[in-house]
Parts: sequence; C-alpha cells; structure tokens
Amino acid sequence: MEIIKTNNLKKSYMLGKVEVKALNGVDTSIEQGEFVAIMGPSGCGKSTFLNLTGMLDIPTSGEIYIEGNDVTNMNSNKRAEYRLKYIGFIFQFFNLFNELTVMENVMFPMMLNKRPNYKERAKELLDLVGLGDRLNHLPSEISGGQQQRVTIARSLGNDPKILLADEPTGNLDTKSSIEIIELFRKLNREQGQTIVMVTHSPEIGGMADRIIHFRDGTIGN
Amino acid sequence: MSSVFFYARKDAKKNWKMFIFVIIAIAISTANIIIINGFMDGLTNGFLEKTMDTSSGHINIYPNEQDKYIEGLGIKEKKIEGMDEVAAYSPRITAGGALHYKEKFKTVKILALDPLKENEVTILLSKIDSGETLAANDRDGTLISYRLANDLKVKVGDEVTIVFENGKTRLFKIRGILHTGLAMDANTVIINFEEAAEQLNLYNKASIILVKLHDEALSGEYKNKISRELGIQKIKEWKQEIESVLSSFKTFRDISNLIIGIGLFTGGVSVGIVLYINILHKRRQIGILKAIGMKDLQILFVYILQAVFLGTIGILIGDILGYAGTKYLEAHPFPDPTLGSLGPRFHLFLIYDTSLVTMLIVILAAAFPAIMAGRTNIIKAIWGE
Ligand SMILES: Nc1ncnc2c1ncn2[C@@H]1O[C@H](COP(=O)(O)OP(=O)(O)O)[C@@H](O)[C@H]1O
Ligand SMILES: [Mg+2]
Repeated sequence: MEIIKTNNLKKSYMLGKVEVKALNGVDTSIEQGEFVAIMGPSGCGKSTFLNLTGMLDIPTSGEIYIEGNDVTNMNSNKRAEYRLKYIGFIFQFFNLFNELTVMENVMFPMMLNKRPNYKERAKELLDLVGLGDRLNHLPSEISGGQQQRVTIARSLGNDPKILLADEPTGNLDTKSSIEIIELFRKLNREQGQTIVMVTHSPEIGGMADRIIHFRDGTIGN
Repeated sequence: MSSVFFYARKDAKKNWKMFIFVIIAIAISTANIIIINGFMDGLTNGFLEKTMDTSSGHINIYPNEQDKYIEGLGIKEKKIEGMDEVAAYSPRITAGGALHYKEKFKTVKILALDPLKENEVTILLSKIDSGETLAANDRDGTLISYRLANDLKVKVGDEVTIVFENGKTRLFKIRGILHTGLAMDANTVIINFEEAAEQLNLYNKASIILVKLHDEALSGEYKNKISRELGIQKIKEWKQEIESVLSSFKTFRDISNLIIGIGLFTGGVSVGIVLYINILHKRRQIGILKAIGMKDLQILFVYILQAVFLGTIGILIGDILGYAGTKYLEAHPFPDPTLGSLGPRFHLFLIYDTSLVTMLIVILAAAFPAIMAGRTNIIKAIWGE
C-alpha cells in the first residue's frame, strides 16, 4: 500500500526579489513498510521535501497524499494533529526539550495525544533504544548519539505511520551513526515501520531498502 | 490541557532565575498598590471620621433656598425633640466677621453654638490643644482655631475683639485653642449661641441644625419625616455630607491612581519583556513543540499559563508585603500637622481588588509574547533564522 505519494510537488522561496526553487516538480511514491534513503548534494531540496511530507510546511504547488488522503491544504490545527498522530520527526540536532528529562521528553507527545499508560510506554521505548538506565537524565547530560536515540524513542510514542529523519546521523561519530541505523533497521524489520531518511553518507544510505536521488529540486538517478 | 500545564510548569521551573525578576516586579507592584490605596483610605477615612465627629449630625437641616437662616427655631426644636428616634440636636449660627488683636486684623468665620446641645451631637468642643473648652452659658469666652492663634500670636487668656458682619464689636477672652484637623482650623472662632444671636439680631434663627439619631441607618427615613413636619426642603443625610468630603479628595485619588497606574504599567512591561526574551530564546524549542504536533493555541496557553504561575507567586508575595507594610504603618503612622497622624488602613478588599487587577495586567502583558510564540514559523524556528 502506498503511504506517501507526491504529485508534481513544488516549493519556492523568495530571497528578497529572487525566487529560489527548492523543489521543482517531485513525483514520489513510498510504500508502507519501506525504508527509504534520500540522497543528493547539499541544497538540492532534500530537507524541503521532508518538511513538506511531514506537514511542517506548505508546498507552492502540487499535492501530497498520505495513505491516499490529500493533506496538501489542511489548516494549521489539522496539520498539527496529523503530525502528532501520524508522523515522527528526527532532525539533525537539538531535537529534545532541554527542560525535560529523557523520560519526560519521551512521554510528552503521548501526553499531548492523551495516550493512556504513557509512562510504561515511555520506559518500553527507552529500553528499546537502549537507554532504560538514563530516564532521569537531562538531555545535556547524555551524548549526542544517546540524544538521537531518545529522539527516536520520542518519535515512536504515538505509533506514527511514518518516521521522517533529516540527517539523523549528520552530527554523530561513526559508531553512534551505525547504532542509529541499526535501530532503524530493527524498527523497520520487526515492526514494519515506514522510514524516510535523508543522508549524505553512501554507507548509511546503502542500508536502506531503496535510495531516492535528488538533484536540483527534482528526482534524478 | 494537562500536557500544556506540564510543559509550562517544567519550562518555568528551569528558567526560575530569569523569572525571579518578573516575580519581584509583580510583588512590588502589588504591594505598592495595597499600601498606596491603604493610605488613601486612611486619609479619606481620617477626614471622614473627623468630619462626622465634629461637623455633622446624622441629619443636617439647612435654611430653605431663599432664606439665609432657618426661621422659627423654637418651634422647630420642639418638634425635633418630640421625635422618637432623635437622640440630640444642636443648632448653630455661622457668620462672617473679623478678629482684632493689638494692631492685627484677620477675617474669620464665626461659629456659634450652645455647648450643652453641641456636646450631645459632636465632639467638636473637645478638640482643644490648650486651655479649656467653652463652658455652657459662657458668653464672654471664645475658642479660636490654632492657625488663627499662630497668625495673630495670641494665647489662652488673651482678650480679642470680634467684629461681627453687621459692624458690632465685642471683647472676648480666649478660653482655648481649637485643633480639629479639618479646614476650619484655618480661621474659625467659636462663641456662645445666645451671644451671637444677640449681636447679630437673630432671634429664633439658626444657620444649621445638626440632628443625631439613635440609629444612623434611619437617616433616610427621618430626613423625609423632618422635611415634612418642619416644612424644610434642604436636609442632608450624613452620607451626602460625606460625599462632598469625598469629592474634595478626588484630586488626591487621581494622583494616587496615576502612581498606581505607572507602577502597574512598569510591572506589566517588565513581565512582557522578560517573557518576550524568554520566548526568543526558546524559538527552536517552540519549533519542536509544533513539529511534534502541539497546536498554536496550546503553545499560546503554555506561555499565558506561565505568566499566571509567575503572577500568582508575585501577587502572593506582594499581598504579604502589602499586608505587612500596611499593618506596620497603621501601627506606626507618620506624624501630620493637620490630621495628627497619617497612616494607611488595611481592608481585605484591598487584597482582593489588587490581586485581581494585577493578575489581569500580567495576563495582558503576557498576551503579546504568547501570541507571538503560538505563531512561530516552524521551519524558521528549527533551522534557525
Ligand atoms: N527558508 C528558506 N528560505 C530561502 N531559501 C531556502 C529556505 N530553505 C531552503 N532554502 C533553499 O532551498 C534550497 C533547498 O534547500 P534544502 O531543502 O534545505 O536542501 P538540502 O536539505 O538538500 O540541503 C536551497 O537552495 C536552500 O538555500
Ligand atoms: Mg538539509
């Protein structure tokens, strides 16, 4: 089943009077349960694509379908609700709430979604990412790799249909990067989690089921 | 909502160092309002009580519109005396005149009264700084107000000449110096009622009759009754007399409200600025809040709620400071030449009103930064711009 589909997706930014075409007509189709890597040179529109499919931003034109529903023109409240229930985000860095402990960070989206037993679930998820012994630490008290694992645990709280990760290992050393990718692999294999991940690294990209190459705002190959 | 509360609480707790200033600003503003209002009340009440004590009955009877004096005093006194609820009454004559001592000359207000009757209604005659008060049937004595005494450099025992408005003059001996804390301290002389009536050829007349009731709550009812039975139109209840005193405090009130307003404004602005700065620092975090699915309105509530936390703590501290300050100054008032002493009065409603108003201002001050937080653009916030 097709979980993400985009149709001639375009996004341009105005830089002063100059129009920057970040995306220039992207057609994609991603199946449920796929682990997809998006690769391409810097500035070719990978983040823009992820932000649009994750409903953080609105395209200039074209359509986005999630599970066959047109989500292109939903209002901001509906988009927020969609993000909360269906999408998990992992950015390159500074993903966590500094004020909250590791445990609270993971609990929070579930509280927002009024999910019962969020404490037990948060512990489970932190065990899953191997941080069951860091519950009461603050983000500033753990390493970058551990922070990314907490972010992954947090993104899974509401059982998202899609996990979107924008260079999740961009800031990490090789060992931590491999741990993160192996975690993704595991989630994808064992739970059928759909994952769309942007990466620079061919090695990491190679661990995905499929690679989509971006070039100058379009899909190349 | 519980997640909004949760985040607001955690965020406030982590940033307490920054918020201490907000809390202090709110506390000072709150205490300031309580104490200033307490002072205004103390001042007003001080004057009100003095006015009631010395210059007004529960009901005051004035001459009819076209007359200078109340006519037929004897009959009217009889009728008043016959009323059940009347405890006492005191007719007074007020007239213009001048006081003459050695080479000095001063215009004065002459207040004539019958000490026996007056003492049943007011405590005016007890307001004596030095010397003795005016005795019943003492037609040769006078009490003169202390500022007048200072101006003329006269003292108890001196003999002064009073010039009445009809040109008659008579020598009086100063029995005592009057000090009421009211405007009459400027230039009043008090003399015997009969003597004044004789000098001014006012037989069976008075300028005002002060009436004291057994129960002040009956003043409305008795006002009408007296009006009917005495055929008099101009009668004022004590409440109306107080209103004129209150209105004379309007300028004071305006000034104190201005001071309070400025205090509230600066308090509000500092709350607004600190919250604004906090939100600027939190842009990325707000972006993440939105990315994980928090709605604009929920984010707005996070910061409004935070302001309410800070407001609550600040206001509570301010209430305590205001209460303690007012109570202390109530016990240790400032000496004041006219009033005797000047101190605030504590009323519980001061706390309620002040807390409510301050909280409203805090929420108002938080509204702009909170709305701004709610409208944060996710992309710009997360990718830092
Ligand atoms: N908010 C923005 N305003 C203006 N230009 C932007 C903005 N975001 C991205 N761009 C531009 O759009 C293009 C694509 O950016 P991006 O999607 O971040 O690329 P990538 O993630 O592949 O490096 C770039 O040229 C970038 O400069
Ligand atoms: Mg990028």
